[in-house]
Amino acid sequence: MNPSRNTPRKPNRWRAWTQTTGGVVASLLLVQFVTGLLLAFYYVPSVDHAHVTVSFIEKVLAAGSWIRSLHHFGSQWLPLFLFVHLVRLYVDETYRHCPGHWIGAVLLLGLTMAAGATGYSLPWDARAFFSTRVAEGLLGGLPLVGRNTRLWLLGGSEISSLTLSRLFALHVLVTPFLILLVVWWRGSAVNLLNRWSNLRFHLIAGGLAFTVLALFTAKFPAPLGPSVTTASADYLPRPGAQFLWLYQSLKYMPGGLGSIVGVVLPALALLTLACLPWLDQPWLKKFSARPQRWIAGVILAACCVLVVSMTVLSYLSDKKDPRTRQQLARQASEEAAFRQAPFVPQPVMLGAEQATTTQVGPPESYNRFCANCHGPHGEGARQGNLRFPPLLGVSLKPRRTVEDIVGLLNDPTAYGLEPPMRSFATKLTDEEKKQIAEWVVKLK
Amino acid sequence: MTERGQNNSPGASKTRRTFLLLLPLGFLTGALTSLAAASFRFLRPRITLASDKWIDVAPVADISGTAPLPKKIVVEHVFGWALTTEERNVFVLPAKNNQVLSAICPHEGCEVAWDKNTNRFSCPCHESFFAADGSKLSGPARRGLDSLPSRQQDGRLQVQYQTIAQNPKA
Repeated sequence: MNPSRNTPRKPNRWRAWTQTTGGVVASLLLVQFVTGLLLAFYYVPSVDHAHVTVSFIEKVLAAGSWIRSLHHFGSQWLPLFLFVHLVRLYVDETYRHCPGHWIGAVLLLGLTMAAGATGYSLPWDARAFFSTRVAEGLLGGLPLVGRNTRLWLLGGSEISSLTLSRLFALHVLVTPFLILLVVWWRGSAVNLLNRWSNLRFHLIAGGLAFTVLALFTAKFPAPLGPSVTTASADYLPRPGAQFLWLYQSLKYMPGGLGSIVGVVLPALALLTLACLPWLDQPWLKKFSARPQRWIAGVILAACCVLVVSMTVLSYLSDKKDPRTRQQLARQASEEAAFRQAPFVPQPVMLGAEQATTTQVGPPESYNRFCANCHGPHGEGARQGNLRFPPLLGVSLKPRRTVEDIVGLLNDPTAYGLEPPMRSFATKLTDEEKKQIAEWVVKLK
Repeated sequence: MTERGQNNSPGASKTRRTFLLLLPLGFLTGALTSLAAASFRFLRPRITLASDKWIDVAPVADISGTAPLPKKIVVEHVFGWALTTEERNVFVLPAKNNQVLSAICPHEGCEVAWDKNTNRFSCPCHESFFAADGSKLSGPARRGLDSLPSRQQDGRLQVQYQTIAQNPKA
């Protein structure tokens, strides 16, 4: 199994360390499995509970933020180290000595990207929602099979709770099962155990990778924005680091070509790499003496150039435009505010509807001052360009307790509200403000 | 690695090898321990404290007669991320100064019903029977129905709801 058996052993002490990319990948995979399992104990894949369960993990549970961050950033490191692993196997010409090893690594790269893509939608904040939209668009734009692929992914004609369940099943059952299958098939773990001298290096490298990731994630929590239902129309979605290259290259592709670049091309590249052990064909030798080395080299180099250049470009283009920069900064501060806000449990009715939702009419002062814009039942309204937000479910948002709403009526700007919302500090008595606030928080 | 070890002096080689053996094991233990500790804290169950909130049962004026009256109360609890609102069944005993009984059978936690014909509470699960005042008549239950703390406030009967641990005798 070990390629170094076939190549003459060089008396280079660093050589053993270059062989440990597999150990790093294995330790990152292990982290993903363990943290994913833990997150599944709390996560609920439904559009009305997904976000609240993730913020519960993030804000309330002990070590929750760290575990989620490990899972988030681990999912970005994994494809990176798998790529490095693949490059190492390429340098060692593993595809000739040990085709199973090579094919396994290629399949793992594809599967971890798939796991990342399906997992990104699960927190159901604005970032997750738009990544689902883009995935929907990419698959829908595929030639011939686009329409059906899209329908099958969404579970219907639109993104809904069915979509989230599907992505959840794909993320926690299908991809991990396939990954385990590949790992088991490669049998590299058994092979490693037989060779303590190698295992030692793998353990050190893997442990080191985990340590660095653990320290990194202890400092940087995984991003989580407010629920998608509260996202404003000017939200600028940005994907995770492992998909920035795709996001950026889609900007340069006219329409349907994006699906080709985003889906077909990577799939073809992975397929070619996976088939590399069989590409030692005589007819290919006409072009080059070592066609495998040549093909894989071109694909790996092209991937490398594309990913690095597009990722750098996406950072640069976000930096360049001052309006984008401002909006991104605004989003970052919204996320920070959401993170600071205390956790609000979500109301769940268990067969007690009649008893509690005895609707009480709004106080008289609400009808006089608020109903004009926010609607007689707090349903919100739209007048020309002006959008008056609905007050339904407002108590689920951060900083919207009874005291907050009284404060907000006194000084709307302090709560980030903009005109036409004005101050009612002098127009309403304190008693009236309290009545309005108490009525508004009950709206669902 | 072993070949190179032979070039060094035997003692140095031995410490070196022990070190190289311990280092990965240390890394492995460190990584696994920190993950295990985090997992334990992450999965640790969240104890919900008994609520001391007073919940409306019924207006005192509506309570009459001698037979136990079934009532539904609305209980709110924070369970993790969910603020659940659910209905629970209780019985008011007008004959016993409006004492309020939990409908939960003290045997295994099924819900008892009032049987008008035989004038007793019966549990649908394991045939425990209780008298009109809640005391145990027969069956596997080890004590009578649990009474809940109650009070009368502004003409309304109120209780503090709690699920009482099953099976202990008293």
